[in-house]
Amino acid sequence: MGIFFEQLLNGLTIGSFYALVALGYSMVYGVMKLINFAHGDLFAFGSYVGYTILIWGSGRITQIFGIWGGMAVTLLITFITVAIAGILVEKAAYRPVYPAGRLPLVVSALGMSIFIQNGIMAVWGPRFQAYPSEVVPSAAFDFFGIHITLLKVFILFFSFFLMAVIYYIVEKTTFGAAVRAAALDRETATMLGIDIRKVIFFVFALGPALGGMAGVMNGMYYRSIQFNMGWNYGLKAFTATILGGIGNIPGAMIGGLLLGIMESLFAGYFPSGGAWKDGFIFIVLILVLIWRPTGLIGEKIAEKV
Amino acid sequence: MKRNKIFLIVFTVGIFLLSSLSCWAEEPVIIGLQAPITGDYAIEGQMAKQCVEIAAELINQEGGINGRPVEIIIADDGSNPKDSALAAQKLISQKVVAVIGSYGSSVTEPAADLFERNKMVSVGYGCTAVRLTMSKDRKYFFRTCGRDDSQGQFFAKFAVEAMGWKRIAIMHDNQTYGKGVAEETLKYLEPYLQEGKAEVVYYDAVTPKEKDYSAAITKLRETQPDVWYYTAYYPEAGLLVRQGREAGITIPFVGSNAVPNDDFVKIAGIEYAKGTLMTQEPMPQDIDTPISKVFLEAYRAKFGDIPSSPWPIYAADGLFALVQAIKNANSTQSEDITNAMRSMTNAEGVTGKILFTERGDRKDIPYAMYEYNDEGKLQIYQP
Repeated sequence: MGIFFEQLLNGLTIGSFYALVALGYSMVYGVMKLINFAHGDLFAFGSYVGYTILIWGSGRITQIFGIWGGMAVTLLITFITVAIAGILVEKAAYRPVYPAGRLPLVVSALGMSIFIQNGIMAVWGPRFQAYPSEVVPSAAFDFFGIHITLLKVFILFFSFFLMAVIYYIVEKTTFGAAVRAAALDRETATMLGIDIRKVIFFVFALGPALGGMAGVMNGMYYRSIQFNMGWNYGLKAFTATILGGIGNIPGAMIGGLLLGIMESLFAGYFPSGGAWKDGFIFIVLILVLIWRPTGLIGEKIAEKV
Repeated sequence: MKRNKIFLIVFTVGIFLLSSLSCWAEEPVIIGLQAPITGDYAIEGQMAKQCVEIAAELINQEGGINGRPVEIIIADDGSNPKDSALAAQKLISQKVVAVIGSYGSSVTEPAADLFERNKMVSVGYGCTAVRLTMSKDRKYFFRTCGRDDSQGQFFAKFAVEAMGWKRIAIMHDNQTYGKGVAEETLKYLEPYLQEGKAEVVYYDAVTPKEKDYSAAITKLRETQPDVWYYTAYYPEAGLLVRQGREAGITIPFVGSNAVPNDDFVKIAGIEYAKGTLMTQEPMPQDIDTPISKVFLEAYRAKFGDIPSSPWPIYAADGLFALVQAIKNANSTQSEDITNAMRSMTNAEGVTGKILFTERGDRKDIPYAMYEYNDEGKLQIYQP
């Protein structure tokens, strides 16, 4: 039974990365009706920004603020940097082609993805980079026979905290209502005096910034980062978004977490499940879409954000 | 004004003609190097490029091939089979005399097929899968590295007879090379299994290019093995060691010969990399041949340190072998080179004498058990 919970915990950790990246996909899709292919690469960019901050002055940040303070500062700077990058991506690649319709927009997004990926390669090089070990807490403990590292606990709590904050902003605040209105019907929302540009600004800053922070946590957790790592996570997060229901905030969270747990349990309990888990996940996705074409939580009439 | 322009054109063309004239004196022999300069195995490709450059410099200092200098053209296969065919095509269209490459077995296979069809000699330097020389008759394919079956045999004997490990876990990545070593190891463990001296408690694959292997690791831990043999490449190996140790697995980790290099230590972290074992051909620093000293000195002088894995050395040996074969044949025709490669007995490389079997495999490659020490450097393992 201990093993089952350990696999579940493994899955939740992977799932929380997927969920944070999926949130960005979902928010952008809700407002823009655009699948932002560059999103996964902004996640990788965030990972490299965090890496650079932590490496800078051979761990000066950690010396000044301590391990936990250093992590907080790194996450904060990454949040701001990637938010700015997200806004720039929107300005450079999406706004100019927006009037041309959806297809050119998708092509532009793919181009942006390649651009960011190669940009990372040009700046940081094609080889693996490793997060320094002294900036990450390495404590671990056994809890009823389950082996848990402190970092895993932190990642889980922080991810859930971020998701809760996003949920609160979008569902409970006035500005969130404006975002939901823009997602529901853009033209009517404009006529009612909602500043669409502000809403777009908001989703393109917050979505990538969340992904960027997930990138930093990912780098701390797995230690090795590479310029093309965004593609795989982008694909998985996109799958999670579809699974949960695209354009739907709780859907993206649940889709991400569920995807992580399914991966982990399938790989843990099926013979050679490790090699087949992606196939298994897509079978589940297809079955879910046959049963509920709008995803697990998505409903046709649901408010989309 | 117009006259000025005409003068300029004539002048430029003249310069070009002059500069090309000076090259005609000794037409270079152009050898292609196909290697993973980018992609997942980039470090192995970049070191191979450096090694082949050094080898070419040494050869040219000695007068090249009968007075003709050796020139290297590089094609990047991006560590994947799809771009491998493109890289091979590029070298074929540039009409190089012969090719060195490539590193990974899955990557080398499509390229070797293309070179075969175009009757061009290619020498693999890191591709150790048995099937490359045994599944098909390839007339123009050689390799300077060893073969997976000898490595599997070495591990099986070492694990059971020298170390007395009983419960053995084997993990691979379902790719040509990784699966190959795993299968060969299993084959050579078979007699011990029947005698009841050992037991394979875990035999499974992980998916390459992923980050999270916690599910597979938890599963492996439950089988309570005495040793964990991972038979694929270093990016995954680094993550596996790290995640395995963090999940509380303390048994010896043994990596196959595509695991050890500096990036493995970087990914795993030195605290987890130290003490890991590797089944490995002799590392550059442990090779003692006439050429090795000069070669490694020249390499160190130019790049600061000696290569951190053995493969790039085999790329240099590929060039030494090709150059000797071209000298012996006194021809740059593929037909003559391939015959000379098979029959030559006077080729000296960094790793010693280079002899090829009828099927194009390198003869006599020794293996050793290596261990990462506290500084993250490889040394021969003393149990």
